Amino acid sequence: MSTWTEHVSAALLGTRRRSVPALPPLTVPPLEGVPDAGTSGPGMAESRTDADGLRAGDGPGGAAGSGRAGVVGAGEAAPEADPAWVLLEQAAVLAVRRRAGRRAGTAGGYAVIAPAPGETTPMVPPAAARRLARILSGDQLRLLPEWLDAAAGRGLRVPPGLLPDLLERGRADRSLRPSIVRAAGRRGVWLALRNTDWAYLVSEGSDPGDDDPEVWQTGTRNQRVAYLTRLRGHDPAAARRTLRETWAGEPAPDRAAFLATLEHGLSPADEPFLEEALGDRAKDVRRLAADLLARLPGSAYAHRMAERARTCLWPQERTVRGRRQTWIVVEPPHAHDEEMARDGIPFHPAGSFAPGGRSGSPVGTRAGWLREILARTPLETWTDLLGRPPMEVVCLPVTNADREPPGRTAAIGRREDRPAGAPGAGGSSSVWADAGDEQSARDVHVGWIRAAVRQRDAQWARALLRGGVVPADEAEALADLLEVLPPAERDSAAADLVRWLDGSPELLRLLDRMPGPWAGRLADAVIELLAAAALDEGGGRGGRHGRMLAPLCRLADARLAPDTAPRLDEVARRHGDLWPLRELTDTLRFRHEMLQELT
Amino acid sequence: MNDRWGREQILGLAPDASSAKAAGGVAKPAKWRGAGCDSHSVWGECQGSGKSTYQACVDLSEPAFRCSCPSRKFPCKHALGLLLLWSEGAVDAAARPQWVAEWLDQRRQRAAKAEERRTATAARAPDPRTAERRAQRVDDGVAELARWLRDQVGQGLARAEQAPYRVWDDAARRLVDAQAPGLAAQVKSLSALRHGDGWPERLLEEYALLALLARAYRRRADLPEPLRATVRSRIGFTVPQEEVLRGERVRDEWYVAGSRDLAQDQITTRRAWLRGIRTGRSALVLSFAAPGRPLDASLVVGTAFDAELAFYPGAQPLRALVAERHGPVSAAPRGTTVGGLLQEYADALARDPWLDRWPAVLEGVRLATPRQTPVRADTLHAVDEHGDALPLHFSPSNESRHDPWRLLAVSGGGSFTLCGEWSPRGLRPLSAWHEQEGVVVL
Repeated sequence: MSTWTEHVSAALLGTRRRSVPALPPLTVPPLEGVPDAGTSGPGMAESRTDADGLRAGDGPGGAAGSGRAGVVGAGEAAPEADPAWVLLEQAAVLAVRRRAGRRAGTAGGYAVIAPAPGETTPMVPPAAARRLARILSGDQLRLLPEWLDAAAGRGLRVPPGLLPDLLERGRADRSLRPSIVRAAGRRGVWLALRNTDWAYLVSEGSDPGDDDPEVWQTGTRNQRVAYLTRLRGHDPAAARRTLRETWAGEPAPDRAAFLATLEHGLSPADEPFLEEALGDRAKDVRRLAADLLARLPGSAYAHRMAERARTCLWPQERTVRGRRQTWIVVEPPHAHDEEMARDGIPFHPAGSFAPGGRSGSPVGTRAGWLREILARTPLETWTDLLGRPPMEVVCLPVTNADREPPGRTAAIGRREDRPAGAPGAGGSSSVWADAGDEQSARDVHVGWIRAAVRQRDAQWARALLRGGVVPADEAEALADLLEVLPPAERDSAAADLVRWLDGSPELLRLLDRMPGPWAGRLADAVIELLAAAALDEGGGRGGRHGRMLAPLCRLADARLAPDTAPRLDEVARRHGDLWPLRELTDTLRFRHEMLQELT
Repeated sequence: MNDRWGREQILGLAPDASSAKAAGGVAKPAKWRGAGCDSHSVWGECQGSGKSTYQACVDLSEPAFRCSCPSRKFPCKHALGLLLLWSEGAVDAAARPQWVAEWLDQRRQRAAKAEERRTATAARAPDPRTAERRAQRVDDGVAELARWLRDQVGQGLARAEQAPYRVWDDAARRLVDAQAPGLAAQVKSLSALRHGDGWPERLLEEYALLALLARAYRRRADLPEPLRATVRSRIGFTVPQEEVLRGERVRDEWYVAGSRDLAQDQITTRRAWLRGIRTGRSALVLSFAAPGRPLDASLVVGTAFDAELAFYPGAQPLRALVAERHGPVSAAPRGTTVGGLLQEYADALARDPWLDRWPAVLEGVRLATPRQTPVRADTLHAVDEHGDALPLHFSPSNESRHDPWRLLAVSGGGSFTLCGEWSPRGLRPLSAWHEQEGVVVL
């Protein structure tokens, strides 16, 4: 037991129960480099201890080496005789000695943290770093993804000091992770390797790996996907062979991720493999395989689907209101069978019994099957069958076969047949355009929209948008169609949609689905809309844009091109000071400065 | 104008984190009307929520704030937001409007009156009887403290663990009555020591050092002058600023190594640690404020400035006032090794055994953990190039939970300069300086 611990235990129990331990004489060589130790007083020259200053406190009465001898001052009615006081004074010597004698640990017991790999990209400029710190502290936090993407897009990375705050944001919000991965640099991964909370950064893999086949054996899922995608780029067959080798042993989410890479360089050679995948245990894999097969013209799958689709949809010449034209007759499938299930059409199609689901009223099971079939049918089926370009196909009127009078003889390829004695033949449109027909038209168009989106067919997307046949309440579908268009066309097509939907409650849903930046003609359309909404709001009139200003501004502030701020100032001036507009222009300005700083 | 303050400096004035955040929301040009500034003040009218408009004005010389909003925060978000706008260059020079001029005039008049009163009191020679009365009271207080300490150790410290706070609070209150506020504050803080591992050791150390202080005070007539000044200041005698300014002055380029705020007893203390780049001297600049009032934000951590500091008298002069500022300099901190720091502290203790904090500036350290241990806040160590290691003690508060990770991120496993506060309990990192990454304030 050291002298110090003896003192501590004596103090713990109290000097009334314990005697004061003895303090051995302190003999320490004189300290080096304490120039003004001389101030410590006359008593010090002969008794330099670790605690010089302390001894000075004792004054001239202090005698070398003994805490006790010194404190019994001459002539005082000394409290110093009290053992408690003796203990305290001795403890003071020891305490200061302990503090002054603190030793550092030696490196042998420690592992120095290995240095981070060198960075390949430069850091963002200081102004941009300051702004990122501001965003991370909660100011305009919604703009964080835009900042990250803009920085990564310019080949810049986040300053290391901000990485912990950034990675913590990504821990809470998954949607940020891809952006974080791209902007965090190598230092981000290095840091994440040391904190399990941030492990997502490692598994999402900012490091895309390389073309070393080793990656396929040892990489993370993302690295393997990247490897496979690159391989598909130059040697699709080799990629397929690589995938087949390990296919059976991969877990279901990985199988789905790998299968998706077949999208690159898809060819009839992939058909056998995809047909096999149709029988996979995992639903996602089966669905992906079916979608890919639908995009392979001439595949057996496409033939089967087209066959099914043609029994549901056929053309017929009719004269309605004295006008003779081709009608599309619809007869949804009556039953579901094993074959359909294998080809990816679920027994319970999405939306078939969700009352008031996203796409309006619930869709019947049969209509649901029809939509699923059409979504997987090659779109050429219809241009071939009807002998017209997509633009004309989408404009054809649609009727429901079930609504037809019983004596119909219509069948595939029998266009010239007319329903004998049909009341509609005489010119009354009421029968043809009743609710059932509208519903059928809707099913057909929704099916085509899904097909156009899945098969990424720009021609059909254009036709469906221009034809104005898309139901307005399918706002999500509209937004998806826009994505299929070539980038150059998107803005103006979107602007047309915005004007078309003006005043409809679906407009906000459409805008919500449209990614930024909104520029060019689309920006013009949105600004017109904002001006109209500001007019209604500012004038206190309900108007059809009433109450639209705030949600519109909220949607616009992260997506509208930032250089539109001056035009919006103009709008704001004309309609008085409206807070949503003011917030919007503030945000646009913030984004404008933010993007400037990153260049 | 490049002498406008930086954003960090302005946010450092905020009374709390939520005010700082709110200020960011107010700092938008669209919210302000009639904003302007001149060399001494910034002003503007802010559109509040609803119909009300608030007039905010900042006197830059102190700084002092005024706003017509009803917020009890001080400075309020409007004043801070206005300063942020000004620092971004979004406020242009203009002529002072009437209301601003009036307020500034009032302030000036008040300041002049206060100055008058102060010179009047200073001119009046202090009543020797007052000083005598106080000396008597302090003597009695110190004697009673000594009795109290003997009593504690006589009964045994084991009782302390379960004892009510009253034990220390009463002793502290008696010391306040005895006009020994320095002792009172030390005694009051003791009740917090009796928790955690090794509390008896810590408590005994503090009791022993208090006993030593009581003893030294009684023998003050025998002490050399600097040590007597140290003892007097620890007891709680203050030295007027004028006297400090007349004392020892050191001109150097001072690097602000770190700053810590400590809220205690209706007063917040900010400790700013400085380190002279040429002389290697350490200095401590204290500033005080009532809670919710702004603290001095003129010493920005990680920057350096050329100035003359005036040190308070003492055996180990440490506390100082900024006597004269000659402007900012851009300089890297100059530090020492782990061994150097421990030696410095031991030397300082030899002069002032009660010294319990010392600024640490460690150059060329790397982060390390004990072998086979993952990186955690409580495993990080700083290792210098000689292989000497010191454990780091990070602030346990929630808002600083990322501090260890920021340090790690900035260092990237390489060597850097670590600044912190050394105390017998360990090294608390306060800032870091990295050659490429610059300064990180923790």
